[in-house]
Amino acid sequence: MVLAYVGLSILAGGPKDAIGMLRFALPYMHRGKLKVGDSAPDAQLVALDGATRFHIRERSNRRPLVLVFGSFT
Amino acid sequence: MQIYDDYKDHADFLTIYIREAHPLDEWRMKSNEKDKDDVCYVQPRTLAQRVAIANDFTQRFKFPVPFGIDEMNNAANSAYAAWPERLYILDESGRISYKGGNGPFQYDPKEVRAWLAQRYGEVKHAEPAAEKKS
Repeated sequence: MVLAYVGLSILAGGPKDAIGMLRFALPYMHRGKLKVGDSAPDAQLVALDGATRFHIRERSNRRPLVLVFGSFT
Repeated sequence: MQIYDDYKDHADFLTIYIREAHPLDEWRMKSNEKDKDDVCYVQPRTLAQRVAIANDFTQRFKFPVPFGIDEMNNAANSAYAAWPERLYILDESGRISYKGGNGPFQYDPKEVRAWLAQRYGEVKHAEPAAEKKS
């Protein structure tokens, strides 16, 4: 257990970061069920104006669609 | 986003802003605070807060890529297991053609570039010239 925590601390960048990873990251980080070849799920998104809604599929105009998921921090 | 500039004539791009990875009230990162362009936000609890941070980001970096914000039910994030960051390519038929690894360690834009290059050709850029020392 101690070795695992030490290893995680090294991976995460420090003991506090190891706790942060365990508490806030692991519950949200997962492989997901999607595989290459699956039909891409759709979802509703909000535009930068905070009011306009659109769906992911609307942004694919008979061309490949590159999706870049992320956040600021 | 060099990849966007290089291939926007061939493919569509969509950045999807999801829940924050290192907000101040969760797993905060010292690097965000030390950075002179500090990136310090709490986890948004409302859509308005999420929209505000998204606008901060796009305005700060003059981000040119089309942008969408995940609703507060995190539907897009859940559907794509996206957190904290991930790349996908959907083909013309709406099927997943590329699924990238989870960030940060497995997030690799070079794989997206390689996919696009295989289909549309490689786009090369000249190396920046080294400064001459006088």
